[in-house]
Amino acid sequence: MNVFGGSAFLDVMQLISHRRLDSARFENLLMRQKTVALPCEDPVTFGVNAAKPIVDALPEAEKDRIELLITCTESGIDFGKSLSTYIHHYLGLSRNCRLLEIKNACYSGTAGFQMAVNFVLSQASPGAKALVVTTDISRFTVVEGGDALTEDWSFAEPSSGAGATAMLISDTPHIFQVDVGANGYYGHEVMDTCRPTADSEAGDADLSLMSYLDCCEQTFLEYQRRVADVDYRDSFQYLAFHTPFGGMVKGAHRTMMRKMTKSRRDDIEADFERRVSPGLRYCQRTGNIMGGTVYLSLAGTIDNARFDTAQRIGVFSYGSGCCSEFYSGVATPEGQRRLRAMGISRHLDDRHSLSIEEYERLLTGNGAVSFGTRNWKLDESHVPGQVLASGPKGRLVLERIHEFHREYRWNQGAGTELPRQGQPRTAYAWVKE
Amino acid sequence: MTEQRHAEIFALVRSNIYEVLPDVEGREIKSDDRLTDLGANSVDRAEIVMLAMEALSLHIQRVELSGVKNVGELVDALYAKSHGQ
Repeated sequence: MNVFGGSAFLDVMQLISHRRLDSARFENLLMRQKTVALPCEDPVTFGVNAAKPIVDALPEAEKDRIELLITCTESGIDFGKSLSTYIHHYLGLSRNCRLLEIKNACYSGTAGFQMAVNFVLSQASPGAKALVVTTDISRFTVVEGGDALTEDWSFAEPSSGAGATAMLISDTPHIFQVDVGANGYYGHEVMDTCRPTADSEAGDADLSLMSYLDCCEQTFLEYQRRVADVDYRDSFQYLAFHTPFGGMVKGAHRTMMRKMTKSRRDDIEADFERRVSPGLRYCQRTGNIMGGTVYLSLAGTIDNARFDTAQRIGVFSYGSGCCSEFYSGVATPEGQRRLRAMGISRHLDDRHSLSIEEYERLLTGNGAVSFGTRNWKLDESHVPGQVLASGPKGRLVLERIHEFHREYRWNQGAGTELPRQGQPRTAYAWVKE
Repeated sequence: MTEQRHAEIFALVRSNIYEVLPDVEGREIKSDDRLTDLGANSVDRAEIVMLAMEALSLHIQRVELSGVKNVGELVDALYAKSHGQ
């Protein structure tokens, strides 16, 4: 498993004071940084940059056993051609591989993950692996008009981010071993948030939160019907939530604890710190990365929580529209060591910190590629800071669009290469705790 | 609709508002007040609704209570739902 949180981020409190929003209220929402996609970045570069360290670490024979590549996204770049085709090409995977793209708002990652797990469990192709890549970016512009856009839509800009996760699913799991059949799923039609036009988002913050809370409850109750002797407090040592922003998860956890365990307020607070807050760490560095947010929370939990022994993690995934699921799995001390070797924390630290001026220039579309662009060439002067010149070697960037076909190059920056899974233990030394 | 029952639900919602938004405690709450104007963000609003649902033992989907514009409409919706309407 790996995470890519982009090349640049914006400090959220800086944005809030720039927009003259009430900073005291925003502190409770537990937002810190948001990843901002640069003109040289798109859903393909994000996805490839997340998956490449995993794929590169595989021996050739194992790499060729990747027979299913699912890209999970709500940031598609074409109605027909799947993002997986580009990702497959730049990862150099075997051609005997199924390529497809899945959409279901922020549930897409879980949809892809569960399909991949079932592909492996089916043993239709014994020993085959599946690569699941979640990748989303938000180019923030609100669809105009309509009362449904409540004032809290102002949460959307500070909370929406960009990022990708990649997971290799096989019959020999190292990082997270799923509890087979322990899935409570729940979905229905609701118009809470959506992407009704090519490059923008719209939504009703109240409806979305209500629906998230309803689903949090219903998916757990369904899980409880399917799995014997489940207790919300005792069965899971950690909980990873889909995290639009931390404050929302805190509210959902409080609601669930009150309802399912009748806990008191101070007990709930301590439980939140212990079981939920490790999962917020990385989410607070990127903002909502949509399809992959729940896996960013899972990665944060496995990287940052205590794993002296194997621990069970409960996972709640929600995607607007809506579909949701509560499921679980087990992570071990060995899994934590492997995940830490990916250097996720260090990668997030190494990103370029955008100034408000740089951010505003990006926001006004300076150099950004909109949906349906036919021909385009990267103007490197639109890429802030020294992201291209000093960035890590071997990172994929978007260079050109020729007759709708996107062309990418491996950037040869002066920065150090990111670690690969399976490197010697000394690589752990600089991983920040 | 009994006037008394309606007034009880209004009083319940008001106490929930005070609990979630300590800044407005003691302030007069009117039917046409919007929770947003009282300083509630979406997380606060969901909490106020949930506390009321719990106190009334209302077992419905929260999304059925979304779309109300002010305190009065929330009270009307809670009243209607708690009387099976």
